[in-house]
Amino acid sequence: MTTATVSAARLAAHSFVPPRVTHSFVPPSGVPVSFTGRAGEFFKMLVKGGLLQIPTFGFYRFWLITQVRQHLWASTRVGDEAFEYTGTAKEILIGFLIALAILVPIYIGYFVLGILAEEMQAFASLPLVLVLYGLAQYAAYRARSYRATRTTFRGLRFWMDGSGWAYAGKAALWDLATALTLGLAYPWRKAALERYLMQHTLFGSLRGNFVGTGGAFFKRAAWIWFLNVGIVALVAVTLGNSGREPGARIFVILLLLAIPFTLPMFLAIQARWQAEGVRFGSVGVVSTLKKGAFIGTFIKLVLSNIALLVGFMAFIAALSFPVVGDLQAFEQTGLTSQLSAFFVVAVLAYLGVIIGLGILQRYFMGRGLWAILAESLIVTNLSALDEVVAAGNPVSGLGEGLADAFDLGGV
Amino acid sequence: MSTEATFYDGASARAWPVSLHFADALEIVSGEAVLARWPYEAMRRREAPPGVLRLGVTSGPDLARLDVTDLELQQQLALQCHDLDRDREGRGGTWKIVGWSVAAATSLVLTAIFLVPLAAERLAGLVPMPLERRLGAAVDNQVRSIFGATTCSTPAGDAALAKLTGELVRMSPQTVRADVAVLRSAIPNAIALPGQRVYLFDGLLRRAENPDEIAGVLAHELGHVAHRDGLKRLLQTGGTSFLLGLLFGDVTGGAAIIIAARTVIDGSYSRDAERRADAFAADTLLALGRSPQPMGFLLRRIEPKGGVVPPFLSSHPVTEERLQALGARPVETAGPPLLTDEEWGALKGICRQD
Repeated sequence: MTTATVSAARLAAHSFVPPRVTHSFVPPSGVPVSFTGRAGEFFKMLVKGGLLQIPTFGFYRFWLITQVRQHLWASTRVGDEAFEYTGTAKEILIGFLIALAILVPIYIGYFVLGILAEEMQAFASLPLVLVLYGLAQYAAYRARSYRATRTTFRGLRFWMDGSGWAYAGKAALWDLATALTLGLAYPWRKAALERYLMQHTLFGSLRGNFVGTGGAFFKRAAWIWFLNVGIVALVAVTLGNSGREPGARIFVILLLLAIPFTLPMFLAIQARWQAEGVRFGSVGVVSTLKKGAFIGTFIKLVLSNIALLVGFMAFIAALSFPVVGDLQAFEQTGLTSQLSAFFVVAVLAYLGVIIGLGILQRYFMGRGLWAILAESLIVTNLSALDEVVAAGNPVSGLGEGLADAFDLGGV
Repeated sequence: MSTEATFYDGASARAWPVSLHFADALEIVSGEAVLARWPYEAMRRREAPPGVLRLGVTSGPDLARLDVTDLELQQQLALQCHDLDRDREGRGGTWKIVGWSVAAATSLVLTAIFLVPLAAERLAGLVPMPLERRLGAAVDNQVRSIFGATTCSTPAGDAALAKLTGELVRMSPQTVRADVAVLRSAIPNAIALPGQRVYLFDGLLRRAENPDEIAGVLAHELGHVAHRDGLKRLLQTGGTSFLLGLLFGDVTGGAAIIIAARTVIDGSYSRDAERRADAFAADTLLALGRSPQPMGFLLRRIEPKGGVVPPFLSSHPVTEERLQALGARPVETAGPPLLTDEEWGALKGICRQD
């Protein structure tokens, strides 16, 4: 039914622009990215979704995660044009069920192998965790591929080629290197994996690339590593020499308090480096994100978590006040009806806290950080997209399902 | 009527500034050219930022989009298109999701309560003994590392234990074979593991006052071995925790629920197994001409004061209940003592260093 006339653009547009690998300064002139979602609406969605997890035994998470993505995608605009998330909860649910069908035999085989290995030495089955680790990396790749094909912009979808297994192999080797160097190799790991991911990500017919280097990331972030190592060393020395003195203890506590502040700074440095490395053809990204940009959000997250936990404990304390006598006599009398009611309410309150923590996490870490990052971005040479034509097909939700199944903690 | 909107044809990334003509279908027009003609009833609302009406169409390219920001135009489109929100997920479907979730959960829980024990019972018979021994060795390793315990051995103590075990095995109502050892642990307990292994804990030996008490407990554990209860329990615990893990594993902190549920389910299973093992012990002792009652006295002696755990949570039936069952049998102590005083002393002292 699309009547003619689109043809000119369609025919002209198989131009594959080779990735630009220059490091020359890109003037921040381009189209700004903005985040325009309503915070209140998002919060309400999280609360409703969180509460619905209780009667659905957690199954509602597929619907919640879909709504969250719809909100985040639609709220993110390049100039006037918003992204769109076209995935559905049903797809992920089906992916999850297929993942179970794959994983159940693996888990059972793993269990039996574990038993056979245990025979030789207690808890010797640990190395078998590596198999599941590899599978988890594969799942992460496939999940990203799913999300890419459900992300559309200007009427075209993103998609990925490449191999999840190749990615899993790469990730395994780099994780080994990172572990062996006590984390110092992390910037190069991140760069190598990001390169693989982005070079296999396409927007319609336009292939992506990643030009950030591990060296540049290391230069910007290494001080955090050294600072943390320094703090730990200083704490060890102080405790070793004068651990009993109150002054030394306060000093140690102050030192340890500095560590959490380095995490948001590290994340901000990484986010900016990662965003600025993204290319699609000649389309690039510039970010003005400051090192300290995430700190405020982190403080809000920590304080709200503390408030929630303190509130929970106060609630339980107040609730247990009338049943103190029953609790003390519990050994003799067993469960009284009052005590049963207390336990039921306490369990519900506990579930409420778990859900509350999840809501705060999604609100601040999911939406909050993303909004700050998005607002800092400028897309350069956006007009190059006009030549891009549609390509790629949607992939199944299996990757998402697998990734979700791994979060089940069945291992 | 024509106002501005932005059209994406779904074939290229080009953004077309268009005007809209409301004819029998919506005509999306750029200059003179009609880019697309969308039937009103095929148009659907898509996710968009606040203030933007984003439309797709079911009869055309999947990803073709029309973004409308003009408020008047949005209202006009809403009037014309009756099915804008027709296939949106979650509209009124929430109850359906809740219903299906509850159904799935019920099915899993019922499976865990009724089918898993049944399956464990049947499967246990199919597991060949060499495999059970391997499983048992694995469990054995874990038991030892959990209790941090070693086994005790003295020549005289081993001989006494072997004699006692031999007598019990000889007269047991069912052929049974078992490796019995004493574990250096102060806890008053005895356990039967898969793979025909029985551990008496030193704590129990210390609290025992005569060989008949220990003989009863040992015969009880031999009953578990003969019934392959250890293997059944392993299969069942594995099965239920796997099923409930599927259900709750995703809710962080759900482990507490899993453990609680498992305790209840396994508890009710074990009560049955304990009763049968008690009967096995009573039969064995009666065949040896000894009374099964002393075992009950030992149970009462080691029972924690006050009965902390409510009966339905306990894996062992309440002592009172078991005492009655043991006492219900005719009490005749006609047979010879199972151990001489000397042997009994050696067995009690098997974990003493001196």
